Amino acid sequence: MTYWIDILDQILIFSIFATSLNLLMGHGGQVSAAHAGFGAVGGYGAAYLAQKHGVSFVPSVLIGVALALVAGLLLSLPAMKLSGEYLILLTLTAQTVALVVISSVEGLGSEFGLTEVPAASLFGHDFLRPKEFLPLLAVVAVGVWIICGALAASGFGRTLRGIRDDEIATQALGKNTFLTKVAAFSIASALAGLGGALLVYYNGIAAPGLFGFDVSMSIIVMVVLGGSGNLLGALLGTTFVVGSAAVFEKVINLEPEKAGLSRLLAYGLALTLVLLLRPQGILPPRAGGARWRFGRKAAGAPAPVPADEREHAEHAPASLAPPPPDGRAAVLAEREPPPVDDGPVPAPILELRGLSKAFGGVQAVHDLTFALPEGRTTALIGPNGAGKTTIFNLITGTLEPDAGQVLLRGDDITAMPMHQVARRGVARTFQDVRIFGRISALENVRLAVPGRARNGQDDRSAIERAREQLAFVGLEEHAGTPVADLAFGDQKLVSLARVLATGAEVILLDEPASGIDARWLEKTLDLMAALREQGKTVCIVEHNLEVVERLADHVVFLEAGTVTAEGTMQELKSQSRLVEAYFGMA
Amino acid sequence: MMIAAFLGIDSFREVVQALANGLISGGAYGLMGAALALILSTTGRFHFALIFNYTLAAFLAAVLQADGVPFGLAVVLGLAAGTLSGVLCEAVVYRPLARRAGADVLLTVFVASLGLVIAGENAIRLIWGSDTRNLTGPADKTIEISSVVLSAISVVSLAVYILIAAALALVLARTSVGRQIKAVRVNPTMAGAVGVDVGRVFLLVFAIGAFMAGVVAVFTGMRFAVTANMGTTPVFYALVVAFFAGTARGPLTVMAAGLGVGAIESLSTLWLNSKLSSVVVFGLLMVFLCQATLRESISRALRRRRGAARRPVPVDAPVEAA
Repeated sequence: MTYWIDILDQILIFSIFATSLNLLMGHGGQVSAAHAGFGAVGGYGAAYLAQKHGVSFVPSVLIGVALALVAGLLLSLPAMKLSGEYLILLTLTAQTVALVVISSVEGLGSEFGLTEVPAASLFGHDFLRPKEFLPLLAVVAVGVWIICGALAASGFGRTLRGIRDDEIATQALGKNTFLTKVAAFSIASALAGLGGALLVYYNGIAAPGLFGFDVSMSIIVMVVLGGSGNLLGALLGTTFVVGSAAVFEKVINLEPEKAGLSRLLAYGLALTLVLLLRPQGILPPRAGGARWRFGRKAAGAPAPVPADEREHAEHAPASLAPPPPDGRAAVLAEREPPPVDDGPVPAPILELRGLSKAFGGVQAVHDLTFALPEGRTTALIGPNGAGKTTIFNLITGTLEPDAGQVLLRGDDITAMPMHQVARRGVARTFQDVRIFGRISALENVRLAVPGRARNGQDDRSAIERAREQLAFVGLEEHAGTPVADLAFGDQKLVSLARVLATGAEVILLDEPASGIDARWLEKTLDLMAALREQGKTVCIVEHNLEVVERLADHVVFLEAGTVTAEGTMQELKSQSRLVEAYFGMA
Repeated sequence: MMIAAFLGIDSFREVVQALANGLISGGAYGLMGAALALILSTTGRFHFALIFNYTLAAFLAAVLQADGVPFGLAVVLGLAAGTLSGVLCEAVVYRPLARRAGADVLLTVFVASLGLVIAGENAIRLIWGSDTRNLTGPADKTIEISSVVLSAISVVSLAVYILIAAALALVLARTSVGRQIKAVRVNPTMAGAVGVDVGRVFLLVFAIGAFMAGVVAVFTGMRFAVTANMGTTPVFYALVVAFFAGTARGPLTVMAAGLGVGAIESLSTLWLNSKLSSVVVFGLLMVFLCQATLRESISRALRRRRGAARRPVPVDAPVEAA
């Protein structure tokens, strides 16, 4: 019996590691190969204080956690600026350094470790045997699950999932993705420190072998195997990885050494097979966030789209009455250009002054000056390579100009970080949609609603607002569908709803009408007309001049990164040079 | 001698000896780094399971030799098995994964390769046992060059490593296969569009990389011992070297970085506890990785500060309106 309680205790301890890494990796998409290393910081910190300075159980554990928190914070400052292989490399390196340091510093017992860690004790009660540890570990582990679950379900967790699916798009919604990642990394590291301290007290020893690179690997395995982004999955993965040794030893009756090896072989193979056969892990991530906290959420969310209806969404044009061959042209022909406003040109809300940007030897934007009049729709047109998308990138801080200024209501916002530009009310869409594919349409839009949910009230009103925007673009019936499962046209509409949910006054739309069919074109044109009615300032980049003609009050013609003509579409069309150079081809 | 005393070392002989030792281990780091860089830059796969390709080559050679197979044949078979295991990692695991993983391909492949490392090491232990084995090659001799003592095998190994790196550089620069590899490295889609069989190039690159790792493993096995976990440390060093040099650099540049890292590590033992010498190397890599990002954010912050200090722009400044 003691054997099985020991296994259960280990599962509880490692679930702390796995649950916290799941927050970082499953939700935030940031890998850490140093999780055991942070466990070592917490574990050795606690053991050192307890053994050498007689600090008692609780304070030593808390200090260990604090040390791991600080170490995580310090590492995350550079690490969270890195991506991909560099992040893997930096965390691998940190793990290595941590291990070499603890196994060679004499004060920490070198390769033998700190071998006389006093027994954990609480309220005069000593924890010595696995049975005595069980309730303590259960309480702490459940506490950690609750913390991680609550964080995952909060706005913080939503931002993390946005970062996982598309970091740039998340910044464009006004989120400070760097700070969010730093916070996630630090919290995960602190919790790893907690796991490490408990592991040390449980074993009565702080030894390098408890925190080796293989342990970091096995924690990653626990997260991926069970299903990253899923709290229960992390528990399941932990149970599998820790418990499989017991199964090999006690159920299949292998000798302990063989059992240990078989276990490692089994979970190594299981990991590879799960990735190949069931990439989302044993339990799938939930599109809407953690379930166990939001019992009511499940009730409030719309029923999942039936399979046949999703089919319908994906192959919509085919299942409708066959659209006329020139469906888009027909839609456009029905439309009138916007009413001509003879009044004075409104004051500019956004101004670009003498902007220049070169990429290597290519001058993408050169001494560019124009303004967006408030409440009007401005279109940027021009041949390919005229620098249209670059201009959006310069306005929103994605790129830093070599010279010139961007002014929003007279304030200099040049090269301001993207999320700050977004918070000041300039939001954008992207040519390549950049939607958060694995989360639901509603969550996509809700992520964009500014402000942090501090209580249930705010939370509900944010959901309300997201739902309204989704209804505005006509997608309320798809609210619960992961966006990757929607048709491309619907994805574009979700990205539009997302931009609207930010409440921005200035909306930059990159080719809103490209790549979509007549049905969505009609919807998109309606929406843009509605935005105009609402008094939003809109700037579109668009190749289709008929679309431009029907939407824009004001057209800016760009060639080789600079403005060569400006005015209404009618005015531009009357310039013979432009007709030859550009319109003739359209 | 005064300088030597000032630096806290006994003699220059000691320094030269440390330098020579460092260059010899650095050659191994360099070739491993070149293998890893070739794979990473061409295929985009974070092939951590190079650990397994490495171990398998030396371990199988040692097992075969213990069963009576002559040394030369055992090494050839070991290298063949290691090379094949690299090709299989790509063909059986990474390629099908990458096809589905979409944007997450780097992380997914990395995690899968962790699985391969764990499964591979323990499969070796289960099949052949966890005991340390020996791979006995031609008898080693010590060479003494002006009081610096070196093992003959280690000198030969360094020469072989550098020759292989040079040969790879030549292949990349001069042959049509090399041009295909470079085309895939720059732009796989475009390379595919002009008729390069990208899948085949990937397999080839995995074969070359795993073979290079196998060569290092065999020499290391001859000089020291063969164990089931012998691959981990070399691959960690390979990572350091590859990233110091830049993963897109040619094999000779990576080799030079390897020699440099080996020399720095070895020289640091003159002042430091030898157990901490790897901290020097990994610490340098951390600094290297951190400084680039910190420098960028600091300069950006400074530029913004300067921008904010500019005179406020009058709101009613003339605007070129329509």
